[in-house]
Amino acid sequence: MTLLDIYFRRRAVNMTAMILSGLAAAVGLAFLVWILWVTLKSGLSALDLKLFTKITAYGAEGGLSNAIVGSLVMDLIALAICAPVGVLAGTFLAEYASRTKLGAVIRFLNDILLSAPSIVLGLFVYMIVVLPMSNLSHGAVSFSGLAGAVALALIGLPVIVRTTDEMLQLVPGTLREAALSLGVPQWKLTVQVLMRAAVSGIVTGVLLALARLAGETAPLLFTAFGNNFMAFHPLNKMESLPIAIYQYTNDPNPALHAIAWAGALLITLFVLLLSLSARWYLHRHKVTHD
Amino acid sequence: MSSIPATIATENADRRSRVDARHDVWFRRLLKVCALLVLAALLGAALSTLWGGREVLLGHGLHFLTSDAWNPVTNDYGAWAPIFGTLVTSLIALILAVPTAFGIALFLTEIAPAWLRGPVAMAIELLASIPSIIYGMWGLFVFVPFMASIEPGLSEMLGRIPLFGKLFQGPPIGLGLLTAGIVLAVMILPFICSVMREVFQTVPNRLKESSYALGSTTWEVVWDIVLPYTRSAVIGGIFLGLGRALGETMAVTFVLGNAYDITASLLMPGTSISSSIANEFNEAVGTHRSALIALGFLLFVVTFVVLLVSRLMLRQLARREGA
Amino acid sequence: MTENTALPNMTSMFAATSSLVSMQPKLEVRNLNFRYGDFQALKSIGMDIPEKKVTAIIGPSGCGKSTLLRVFNRIYAVYPGQRADGEVLLDGEDILDVGYPLHGLRSKVGMVFQKPVPFPMTIFENIAWGIRHHERLSKADMAARVEQALRRAALWDEVKDKLKRNALGLSGGQQQRLCIARSIALKPEVLLLDEPTSALDPIATGRIEQLIEELKRDYTLVIVTHNMQQAARVSDRTAFMYLGELVEFDDTERIFTKPAKQQTEDYISGRFG
Repeated sequence: MTLLDIYFRRRAVNMTAMILSGLAAAVGLAFLVWILWVTLKSGLSALDLKLFTKITAYGAEGGLSNAIVGSLVMDLIALAICAPVGVLAGTFLAEYASRTKLGAVIRFLNDILLSAPSIVLGLFVYMIVVLPMSNLSHGAVSFSGLAGAVALALIGLPVIVRTTDEMLQLVPGTLREAALSLGVPQWKLTVQVLMRAAVSGIVTGVLLALARLAGETAPLLFTAFGNNFMAFHPLNKMESLPIAIYQYTNDPNPALHAIAWAGALLITLFVLLLSLSARWYLHRHKVTHD
Repeated sequence: MSSIPATIATENADRRSRVDARHDVWFRRLLKVCALLVLAALLGAALSTLWGGREVLLGHGLHFLTSDAWNPVTNDYGAWAPIFGTLVTSLIALILAVPTAFGIALFLTEIAPAWLRGPVAMAIELLASIPSIIYGMWGLFVFVPFMASIEPGLSEMLGRIPLFGKLFQGPPIGLGLLTAGIVLAVMILPFICSVMREVFQTVPNRLKESSYALGSTTWEVVWDIVLPYTRSAVIGGIFLGLGRALGETMAVTFVLGNAYDITASLLMPGTSISSSIANEFNEAVGTHRSALIALGFLLFVVTFVVLLVSRLMLRQLARREGA
Repeated sequence: MTENTALPNMTSMFAATSSLVSMQPKLEVRNLNFRYGDFQALKSIGMDIPEKKVTAIIGPSGCGKSTLLRVFNRIYAVYPGQRADGEVLLDGEDILDVGYPLHGLRSKVGMVFQKPVPFPMTIFENIAWGIRHHERLSKADMAARVEQALRRAALWDEVKDKLKRNALGLSGGQQQRLCIARSIALKPEVLLLDEPTSALDPIATGRIEQLIEELKRDYTLVIVTHNMQQAARVSDRTAFMYLGELVEFDDTERIFTKPAKQQTEDYISGRFG
């Protein structure tokens, strides 16, 4: 092989690789556009006021109002559980355990929890919430919105722990020293200065956690179960958008498929909006200390 | 400077110091308890599914892992069919997603013009935030018919190849392991891709520049410099995707076909651990329910190990970066 | 530059003369050693820091001057692995003693850092936050206290109309004076300044130096600086440190005109560092 041959061969290999990689990007984007397009098209054509006014009990004649309400209730309870716990846990990692062995272990396992199979978390909550409540109440309470919210909280928790930890570590150490040199105790410094300095990051984490847990289906199957009627009380079985979509998709009736698409559109828009605004928010309110 | 006698002032300061110290201790304890809840969640998930599945895990023993019987009538349960389905679909997903993710990451770090990088990276990240049930719906209503339309051609083309061809013989119904694998591939693509992109960006510019200065092509720089430098993290990213694929429920449940069969053909319907649980749990009682929870325990253990490997590999790069 | 802010004791300025040695020292350092893990950063330091004077600590970077300053309010104790032994007497009491209340120490010894670090709060809250932990004041008293601190730090006229604004909106020099105000609002006796002007422009630096000149009427100041001219301008006494040891400690005028040690002279004349 002459030198020139080698040169052209290398050029050819390079060219092929570049083209393939451009193609891969195109394929990735194509799937995104495809999925979003289908969701948008099928969802919009099924969008109807009755989605928001009628409950799922009417089937094809009904809507998703009980599912929307159920989702809102459970998502809010889930946030109310995982946001404080996650923020405090993340604070522990960043402020008290940044260089300890325990901190390293928890941080490591938190990352695993972040991608743990959500259906197993559903089973876990079934075992520790649904079954004991059923036993305690002699069957009066079994599946419940509360159990669903606990399962969702487990999905959101590691997201918040991680972002809080990362954001607090960005806060400059001089801020800690400045506050401590005023004779202020560590807890006051942490809550009133550090968390305030990192608040935009923490809010972003909470938004991302909400985006993550709002679309989850699997953990709700055996915790909140589902309910064709409107329910507000968290000790009742509760419908949710993902569960309604799941049931309607599994149904042979095409009219229900249409409603499922409308629900899918709602949930996709909600989740995309949340994750976009989380990014935007963080971008606008970067920690201003360098 | 203050009018209070010095001794009282010191006493006050002394008391205040003690109060502060006590508050700090309690605050720290509160935080620690919250952090330990993360551990409790993982440990609890493992122990509770172990407990719930004890009847089958103990009663069936190794038989549970190796048998492909799944019979609620005779209460005979073997997990091999769902395990098989989980492994096969995840493998297909990896085979398709890893090269694609690599291509995209390469495109985003080395090839694309600067103005294009941000938006494309953003779009890929958005793909990651779409709920998995949307993938499932898209899979069932759009992708399954599409697959059904190309499967006859696929069987025709690939089915004739000896041995390998067996994989592609079967009824062209669109549902099945191959379809599920492809849907999973689309779903885990952004996870693998964003890890790869991030770690490619950590390669010091001086390394790449010195290679370019020797006349290397972009591909040679990527293959000989970037990939070896980031190898462990790239493998970590792949394992992260694998962990996601193994544990995913909603993206595969609709398109697998839900059949406890083990066949050589990828076009045949099958089942997976997570979709078996999702489909049957609410109707199951007694031993059947125990078998499903035992499946959950298996899934948890396997994904835990995969994710553990993933994080260990990813951490190596982080450590080098810090050094 | 600054208007003459109404000060309670204008006369004390003239009372202090050059008879430094005769006064009772505010801080006495006795045989102080300091370790970061295995590294010994300070080697048997001994010095007397006079009351209501400005003491400057100079030396090449890494000589331990900031470390020494950080012993005086025990802020080093935040970090594991940092240990000080020896004695540091504040008005005769050893602050390194475990029994010495940290809370009291930090309110008696204030500290201002190299980079201005305002808290993410309003300008008013930046000052009030620290006070609130030490004293219970009525709303009016608090407002008066905040105003007094801001006046004392020569910042009042610039911020009096925007006390409710976020402190991060101030300029670097204003932020640093806010940090000084925050410290003196606690009525400390000693004020530690760790290279307080190294992140500021010359004009802002000038204002801070002027402020230091005024503050020494009421406070004992210790300033660490890498800027020899600054030490010469603002301080009464100057300590020169090198490789963790105190080489020479004397009246500033003497250090800069006829130092006793060769090392000091080399450093002053810019032959190293």
